[in-house]
Amino acid sequence: MTAVTEQDPTEHTDHTVKPASEEGAAPRTDLTSLMERMERLDRTERTDSRERTERTDCGGRSERADRTERAGEGPCGLDGTADPGTEEDIWDDGLIARRVNENDGPPQFTPVERRPAVGPPFMPLAYDGPLRSRLDALRELVGLSRARLDSGTLAEAGRVLDEASARRRLSGQHTVVAIAGATGSGKSQLFNTLAGVTISETGVRRPTTAAPIACSWSDGAATLLDRLGIPGRLRRRPIQYPDTESPLRGLVLVDLPDHDSAAVQHREQVDRILALVDAVIWVVDPEKYADAVLHERYLRPMAGHAEITFVVLNQVDRLPGEAAEQVLDDLRRLLDEDGVALGEYGEPGATVLALSALTGDGVGELREVLGQFVAARQAPARRIAADVDVAARHLRPVYVTGGRTGLSEGAREEFADRLADAVGATAAGEAAERAWLRNANRACGTPWLRLWRWYHDRREPTTGRLPLRAPADEEATARQRVEQAVRTVSDRASAGLPAPWAQAVREAAVRGSQGLPEALDELVTRAGLPPGRPPRPGWWPVAVLAQACMTLLQVVGGLWLLGQIIGFMSPNLGVPVLLMLSGIIGGPVIEWSCRMAARGPARRYGHEAERRLREAAAGCGRARVLDPLASELLRYREVREQYGKVTGAEAMVR
Amino acid sequence: MVTLHVRPQLLDALSALRDRVAAARFPLPLAGAPRARANRDELLAQLDDYLVPRLREPDAPLLAVVGGSTGAGKSTLVNSLVGRRVSEAGVLRPTTRTPVLVCHPEDQHWFSGARVLPGFTRVWVPPEDPRDDMLVPAEVPGRVLRIETADTLPPGLALLDAPDIDSLVADNRVLAAELLCAADIWVMVTTAARYADAVPWHLLRTAKEYDATLVTVLDRVPHQVVSEVSRQYGALLTKAGLGDVPRFTVPELPESAWGGGLLPGTAVAALRTWLVHQAQDPGARHQAMARTAYGLLNSLKCRLPELAGAAAAQYSAALRLTAAVDGAYDNEHTRVQRRLRAGAVLAGDALKRWRAFPLDCSPAELLDSLVESLTALLLCAVTAADEQVDEAWRHDPAAGAPELAGHGPSARNAEHRIGLAVRRWRRELEEYAEDEVRHRSTSPDPEMVAALVATALLGGRRASTAGEGLAERIGVQGALRLRDWSGRLLTEYVDRVMHAERERRLAPLDALEVHPEPQAELIAALSVLQKER
Repeated sequence: MTAVTEQDPTEHTDHTVKPASEEGAAPRTDLTSLMERMERLDRTERTDSRERTERTDCGGRSERADRTERAGEGPCGLDGTADPGTEEDIWDDGLIARRVNENDGPPQFTPVERRPAVGPPFMPLAYDGPLRSRLDALRELVGLSRARLDSGTLAEAGRVLDEASARRRLSGQHTVVAIAGATGSGKSQLFNTLAGVTISETGVRRPTTAAPIACSWSDGAATLLDRLGIPGRLRRRPIQYPDTESPLRGLVLVDLPDHDSAAVQHREQVDRILALVDAVIWVVDPEKYADAVLHERYLRPMAGHAEITFVVLNQVDRLPGEAAEQVLDDLRRLLDEDGVALGEYGEPGATVLALSALTGDGVGELREVLGQFVAARQAPARRIAADVDVAARHLRPVYVTGGRTGLSEGAREEFADRLADAVGATAAGEAAERAWLRNANRACGTPWLRLWRWYHDRREPTTGRLPLRAPADEEATARQRVEQAVRTVSDRASAGLPAPWAQAVREAAVRGSQGLPEALDELVTRAGLPPGRPPRPGWWPVAVLAQACMTLLQVVGGLWLLGQIIGFMSPNLGVPVLLMLSGIIGGPVIEWSCRMAARGPARRYGHEAERRLREAAAGCGRARVLDPLASELLRYREVREQYGKVTGAEAMVR
Repeated sequence: MVTLHVRPQLLDALSALRDRVAAARFPLPLAGAPRARANRDELLAQLDDYLVPRLREPDAPLLAVVGGSTGAGKSTLVNSLVGRRVSEAGVLRPTTRTPVLVCHPEDQHWFSGARVLPGFTRVWVPPEDPRDDMLVPAEVPGRVLRIETADTLPPGLALLDAPDIDSLVADNRVLAAELLCAADIWVMVTTAARYADAVPWHLLRTAKEYDATLVTVLDRVPHQVVSEVSRQYGALLTKAGLGDVPRFTVPELPESAWGGGLLPGTAVAALRTWLVHQAQDPGARHQAMARTAYGLLNSLKCRLPELAGAAAAQYSAALRLTAAVDGAYDNEHTRVQRRLRAGAVLAGDALKRWRAFPLDCSPAELLDSLVESLTALLLCAVTAADEQVDEAWRHDPAAGAPELAGHGPSARNAEHRIGLAVRRWRRELEEYAEDEVRHRSTSPDPEMVAALVATALLGGRRASTAGEGLAERIGVQGALRLRDWSGRLLTEYVDRVMHAERERRLAPLDALEVHPEPQAELIAALSVLQKER
């Protein structure tokens, strides 16, 4: 085997070298391009001026910094704008030869005006039930989350929805398949081989194809190609045409430029069109099949699109003997590592084939597989489904976290407890209980004890003892405790929520807590106990009467004894002593039993006071804070349900 | 023309600069930080593996590193230049995983030590080993450099077969970048199918930027298109400003076809002659060496300011983060002081106790509730400050460092720490009240005195009666003294708590050790170096 190219040497002479005006392919590394880029940066970037001046300090290196800035911009692969950060970072990790140093030229494609679809053979695409409901759910989800999430997060989902509806309006009988690959892998040659006629220019110049070329096997694909922005002069017919029985009927093949050459606008076109086509054939060759750019930039992000992916190893004729088999196995291994499901053993997944576009080896097989694929007419729906999957996966962090959500009963009770503390319910209850008890003791105590207390009190300073009612306690509620209670409950409520929703919950709590301390202040004065002495139970007069009787007994006994002593009465010690003793013992006994009896009512009285305050505070807190929190949580649950609909139907679609 | 001889001052300046570069850290995840880290590593590799050893020993053999994309035929090229299979070649990509250095037997001592590429473990396969076993023993840990000797290479020249510059295997990429940094001559291999790829062009631009001695090889060119492809490639090079770079074309031959065979000598003769000329002609050798070395020295002029800029950005980000913490805590501190003055502590539970005091409430209970209320006030301030910090940090990309994220458990302990401090304040207050009471004839209850002082202190206006009660019990003088003193004590404790919590919040940031010095030091080291040149 000698020096085999991907093309017959006689063939390339047919195709003259393109005019220099199309030389966008060659890299322009001069000052003008750099300046152009700096200008563009000035316009578009939001970096602060300090960084920019640093960058201009040294022109040569500035391009790298430039590159980092641009990482977030362009769409990459089918993946769209999905996760530019990580993906681009992996690619542009700053190693030698991995700093992208791009030259922007004016875009070479001109999107064609979309004409209204007319014509009888046109039959729009119809999505099946599950996919339709998923798309509806996604639309609903986007609508519900718009207020909570920034538009950048939702951009990809919006794009998927737009593309889904745009594709649905267009022909469902056609399947748009793009042929993508590195420069020199033989994309154009495969394209020509499939079409049976030399449509796309092939050659040894790298990169060869600068603009996408389309070939349609049946009528009615014009609107589809309009959507891809492929101008009329680049639309061709295969050689069999108008053989309507062609096995590839319904196929619209698009030959793409390369994705890895120094001509950046080629890659931009590839990215743009890959986001719009129904299926992709990746053409790789034995030299380039393990290129990092192919795997990291395209195949890995597209792993979810395995069902609409073909990977063909071209140029197997360059490989000696069984090396082709080895390389194919290695390619399968790499794809597996990329996470691309392989369509082997009847399982859905990517189709991997080895072929040679030059000799025609294996092209028949590809044609057959492609024919079945196109005839099934499943590709557009599968592609949209895969897009929805990818969009849903990227949105996952803003909708789902592992933890369980919701406000537990415990957290609600804790909140009520904290509010009760803030208004001082416990202390108020205790104070009320003790005051009641104190009054009872005072009422039912022996007169002697009361006399002693009265005397004792006169000697002590009076400060603080006479509960002189402050006119009105402004700010009777502990502000800090209310604040802390709200913070704690909102933390509890937002635990386990994705960040944007947790933020919304916290905001709702803060909004609700405004004016809460003032409301509690007012409530405390209303719900507190009525001022003045606590109520007296019915048995008090009886106790007081009994106490009076005891005192009377003491007095009577005493007088009787006195009478005997001065001889006024006949000496009879027994009865008066007994009378006096019963008075002396009976007084404290009655006092003690009253005290025992008063305990229960006092406790009830205190509890009542505490309960009133606590319930009033809890009610206030519920209305102002917990209810808004709950409704915010409900809103999240609704969104979460929608998200579940977007993803949950996956199994059914598959 | 600069001369290359050992210059101790230059070497000293260079090693000082090297230490500064090695000490630079970019821990905060700013936009430019990953790039700065990569640049620092690359610069370090170039200084360690190339510039310092080269300036120290100008007589060491020239090292030509063969680099390029996967499948460009680097190993086949090296094998063909040497004339025997020294490096594994094959159809499966990536092929070369262990770099192979080939040199003349006399030159082996230059490379067997740690003079260049000190981070690599040397594996030496004796040439008389008849087995064609090129597998490196698996037990060799870390990164491995295989050294081969071949008589066919002229003395004074060593070839290094690097892994793919853009390998799917991330380690290989790093390895290849590091190896290229050690080269006197960069041999850039590309193929007919690849010459317009972005990856080789990035490499070429980098080489141009460092002004390294560069040679490109266009490999695997089919016979039929040699002239056309070669012309195209030349045009692209000229356009990129690299027209003067020596360019060699190697045709695609059956021997090269994926089998790892050797190309006939004629195919690589031109390249071989050029390399031998560079190694043996003193003038050419000197020029090749000086160009790369001084190109690298020149490139420092803009690479170091870039690193210094990144260091400055790190420091300013750290300052920004610190300022956010300081601002939040200062805010809350003022708020706490204001609320203390307003008597916010005497509210809720404490207020109810105070209203019931002393008839229905003991002094101990009153003190308890005051302590609790004060704890709540401080805890509220600290959590509010933390919340403000979180809010401010959320909008700052620099706060995304994983070290700064985990303040959860310590925040939960804040309640414990604050409670401890407040209880300690109470104990001191009680002790002082006891002292005050001890030498008084009336000997009022010290606990009562402590409770009254605390109330008067924390209750603001609404606790004016507490002050009166205190004066009644221990006299106006004593009351004033006690109040002043405990007021100072309270301020001290509050300050201490807020300060401790702020420090706790700043601790992870401080642990990152982002200082302003690296920026100045880098620039200073650069200016010293410039002076020495």
